[in-house]
Amino acid sequence: MRLIRGLSLAAAVIVLLVLATSALDSAFAQAGPLGAIRPPPAEGIAGWILAKQALFYRALSGLIRAAKTDGSAYWGLMGISFIYGIFHAAGPGHGKAVIASYLLANEETWRRGIALSFASALLQALTAVVIVAIAAVLIGATAKMMGDTVRVIEMVSYTLIVLLGARLIWVKGRGFLRALHAVRSGPEPAAAETAADHVPHVHAAHANCHRHDHSHHDHADHDHAHGHHHHAADEEEDVLPWGHAHGPEPEELAGPGGWRRGLSAIVAVGLRPCSGAIIVLVFALAQGLFWAGVASTFVMGVGAAITVAAIATLAVAAKAAAKRFAAARNGYGSLILRGVEVGAALAVMAFGVLMLTGTMASERMGMF
Amino acid sequence: MIQRFISVVVGLACVVAATGRVDAHPHVWVTMTEELLYTADGSVTGVRHAWTFDDMFSAFATQGLEQKTKGTFTREELEPLAKVNVESLKEYAYFTYAKVDGKRNKDAFLDPIDYYLDYDPKETVLTLHFTLPFKTPVKAKAIEIEVYDPEFFIDFGFAEKDPVRLVSAPASCTAAVEKPHDDNFPITLRLDQAFQTSEANIGMGANFANRIAVNCP
Repeated sequence: MRLIRGLSLAAAVIVLLVLATSALDSAFAQAGPLGAIRPPPAEGIAGWILAKQALFYRALSGLIRAAKTDGSAYWGLMGISFIYGIFHAAGPGHGKAVIASYLLANEETWRRGIALSFASALLQALTAVVIVAIAAVLIGATAKMMGDTVRVIEMVSYTLIVLLGARLIWVKGRGFLRALHAVRSGPEPAAAETAADHVPHVHAAHANCHRHDHSHHDHADHDHAHGHHHHAADEEEDVLPWGHAHGPEPEELAGPGGWRRGLSAIVAVGLRPCSGAIIVLVFALAQGLFWAGVASTFVMGVGAAITVAAIATLAVAAKAAAKRFAAARNGYGSLILRGVEVGAALAVMAFGVLMLTGTMASERMGMF
Repeated sequence: MIQRFISVVVGLACVVAATGRVDAHPHVWVTMTEELLYTADGSVTGVRHAWTFDDMFSAFATQGLEQKTKGTFTREELEPLAKVNVESLKEYAYFTYAKVDGKRNKDAFLDPIDYYLDYDPKETVLTLHFTLPFKTPVKAKAIEIEVYDPEFFIDFGFAEKDPVRLVSAPASCTAAVEKPHDDNFPITLRLDQAFQTSEANIGMGANFANRIAVNCP
């Protein structure tokens, strides 16, 4: 059910996107700055997305200029910023791959996936605004200084992603080994396996004790009636970045403060500002319309969040489906599930390493 | 069971497809006019670039620079920036690729000379001028110069008017310009390439290459 809901949501978003852009496309085709837009060849989906992004990005400069004299241009500016954000999140360095892998590795609700996407995208916008506000407005720094600042932040962000991945591999790897052990240790009753799999592993070293502790429960019933509780316990271990042994209790996590669990992912991904936003902000500043640039940046962030959220929803749905699949096939099922989680954890770390070493293309800050 | 399995596979495939694509779109636009410099004996000594940046990037690049007159920059005021630009461009091989008689000539150029930036206060755009000397002057029937950013962060395009000039070239030499968006130019941006990571970017940038083909029969 959830998968269908997730997929239909994603499909709806994509359809809306197509409709919105084709409508705006014709409306803004003649409004391009300097009248010199040369869209790249729009061949295939990738080419099409690239072409749209480039078009919208270039339209921003014209609209900021227009906003100096014409107040109604603000609406156009916000509209284009929004659409640009939606498209631009498909580009590199926007953490969608990291967020999706993170969600695959963990047990999250789609609501949480969306919240994570929005928080990281808005943090990206905030970082861009803070950098330009401090560097350009207050200090009067040059483009080179800003570029250097972004590079440092980038390195911190990628390092955090590597650490997040390492942490997930550690946690998920142990889960995988436990599942492997459960499968290897011969034909156990299905209920006991399920329980072993769902034991809160706060003190993982004593996982066996836990299993014994719980062995007097009615496992099958427990599993269904208190599915939520298991959820929380599972998540707690996954998401708390460093203090796994002394993390908050599952009860705390289930409450409104539960967003803290994803904080490590939000910061790791959201720290890195988008170079396009920084250029737009500096341009707006040069035009004496810094606040228009700030508003545009945040609207861009919201647009980007929608794309990342759509992908996050897919990831959550895929994970839910994988979980249901695993639940129906005893030990091997959970082994596969843990395998997927380890794979996703490895992917998070791989993204971090690739970006850190510059192997994976990221955005540049121009020629500085 | 089969249905569940399929939904799992499809779901994972969707996530991979949605996240696996990594491609940048340009953040900088360059309108270029190019000159090939000839000596009396008909060999080419170098390429002189004039790259005009778009207004947004020009504003970004000039941020925080000192200026005597508001709204404009003198060549002297822009000198430090020109130096930074030219030095940073080295890492990207000046986005300039040479082919001599059909053979790609890697490492063809020396460090740039005669570089400076101009600011057009009316259009609020910067133009970077620099000359890339060939290590050894090239005398060949066919020389091709390509200018592109393999990562496609910068979108290079020829100026509408007189994009290429052959300076003191033999009368028999002709220059042709190939733009990436010409219909006869092979564009092979395919979806399967787009699913790769950095390679996809490299392939993509090359597809946006601007080519100058000079023939001296």
